Amino acid sequence: MVRLITHNLLACHAKGCTSNNFPLRFENARVELREAEFNGDFLQGFLPKIEWNALVDTAKQLGDTSLPPEQPEMTDDEFLKNLHHVLMEIHVEEGVMICPNCSRNYPISNGIPNMLLADYEIA
Amino acid sequence: MRYLVVFAQAHNDFRLPELCSVAELHAFTIDFYGTCDPTRPYMVLDLAEEAHAQILARRCILVKSVYEYYADGSSYDQLHELTRANRGQWEKYIPDTSFRFNVTAYNHKIPQSRQRCVVESFAYMGFLGKIDMKHPDIVLACFEEYLDRHETTRAKYDGDGDFIHLYFGKLLEEGSARSLISKFDVKKRAYFGNTSMEAEVSLLMANQSLASPGKFIYDPFMGTGSMAYPTAHFGAFVFGSDIDGRQMRGKGNPPGVLRAAAQYGIDSRIVDLCTFDVTNHPLRCGGLFDAIVTDPPYGVRAGAKRIGRKQELSPARMESYMEHRQNPQPDDQPYIPPTKPYELSSLVADLVLLARYLLKCGGRLVFFLPTVTEDYSELDVHQFLCEGMEVVGNSLQDFGSWGRRLITIKKVTDIQNAAPILHDRDSSASDLDHTPAHQHFRDKYFQGFKQRSA
Repeated sequence: MVRLITHNLLACHAKGCTSNNFPLRFENARVELREAEFNGDFLQGFLPKIEWNALVDTAKQLGDTSLPPEQPEMTDDEFLKNLHHVLMEIHVEEGVMICPNCSRNYPISNGIPNMLLADYEIA
Repeated sequence: MRYLVVFAQAHNDFRLPELCSVAELHAFTIDFYGTCDPTRPYMVLDLAEEAHAQILARRCILVKSVYEYYADGSSYDQLHELTRANRGQWEKYIPDTSFRFNVTAYNHKIPQSRQRCVVESFAYMGFLGKIDMKHPDIVLACFEEYLDRHETTRAKYDGDGDFIHLYFGKLLEEGSARSLISKFDVKKRAYFGNTSMEAEVSLLMANQSLASPGKFIYDPFMGTGSMAYPTAHFGAFVFGSDIDGRQMRGKGNPPGVLRAAAQYGIDSRIVDLCTFDVTNHPLRCGGLFDAIVTDPPYGVRAGAKRIGRKQELSPARMESYMEHRQNPQPDDQPYIPPTKPYELSSLVADLVLLARYLLKCGGRLVFFLPTVTEDYSELDVHQFLCEGMEVVGNSLQDFGSWGRRLITIKKVTDIQNAAPILHDRDSSASDLDHTPAHQHFRDKYFQGFKQRSA
């Protein structure tokens, strides 16, 4: 859990933190690889939502370099397979996600990230 | 082709929405024949292909069986006349097809002697194949529908023959989706809580959400995951969040929701579980999900919460609180922010706004709205709609003085709105000219729905 598909959607949302608040940086990440079922339509549907640079950089940080630096315009099977692996099969089970802007920490335990803000952090 | 659908005797109000949802999911249309009254257990409908009828039998939780329609009528004379007229449909079975003939009734038990008479009255069909009670090639069935006479005392078989309608057909397929109710039985689940949703209703919700392979579905009040299992079973990928992570985790590792999902073989479809307050969520963009399916807490077993304080701290206490927060001690327990109650009518209005932001165009929001039966009006639902969101289903599960409504709302706009800011609204201040019946539902529930507002 905390797959990269989720990581690619999570931004720091603390009060006042509105720019440079994405992507969150993993620290002390314990990574597990788990097989997931492949669904091409799901991936195609999700493609337009992806922040590509964030995905490529984070995958690299976690040791996967299978994605091209630029998002390709045409998708072939090999590309989708790599994308599937990066989005769905890399799980960060323990660690912390850190906002690049305000350095707020979001801890992950047993694969569940705690994105709760404190009462004084909500807008 | 014309078909006869026999419904299970439960959740009448959910029958039509479910048929329509399954038809929409598989992109076919249903033409309802005659007076289509969803409170009655038999429904005749026209479908373009036999495959469509099979889909209904395999996916609809409330469908007991589907028959190829031969005839209906209010008397046996009518029924036989129509059966003769439709000879083209059944004459292929005359020469050499083994068969069984069922005669059953709804709201009544037909004596065996008359069952035999009914079977014999179809002798003109002249089937030459052998009768086989165990493994027949085809099953023919004749149904007598009686009015509901419970709460009246009567002798056995009293009123036999006073049926209001008759139906006759050949079995196409027994409904197979009903067995999922037992598969997802909460009692047999590896992980559940005191607010887990019963299996049948959660399956109905999954059908309303049009769950199918490749869809991305979100539950913002994930709790113990009752909505996630049936939606993932139908192939969707599920993302869940809850303000209280303990509900999703349970005790032990892996988290409870994943253990239950693993029991159903769908753990890889639970994309992620996150702890956050949905009114202050960290999702960086909208237009993500095909459906949002959720059972929001309505305050009777568990109340909805959002981050904040019921009462602001005094400046001095706020200062020491902040100081403590900024200098955490090593032996501190994990920090849990303060929460305050989230009133149901605010929650529902926020949920619709949030769904408009997070759903794709054409996506659905499916949730339960508890409400006071006597005070409910259509306006309650229309009040929390916003532009671009349309009601496509509203089914009541009636518990007497209160009930809950399964609301299905479709996003019909492709305009991508900005993220809604879900500020506190003072629900007691009545700047609205209409007070919905579900407002302050918790208080009304515990007052036994007696005190009428002055």
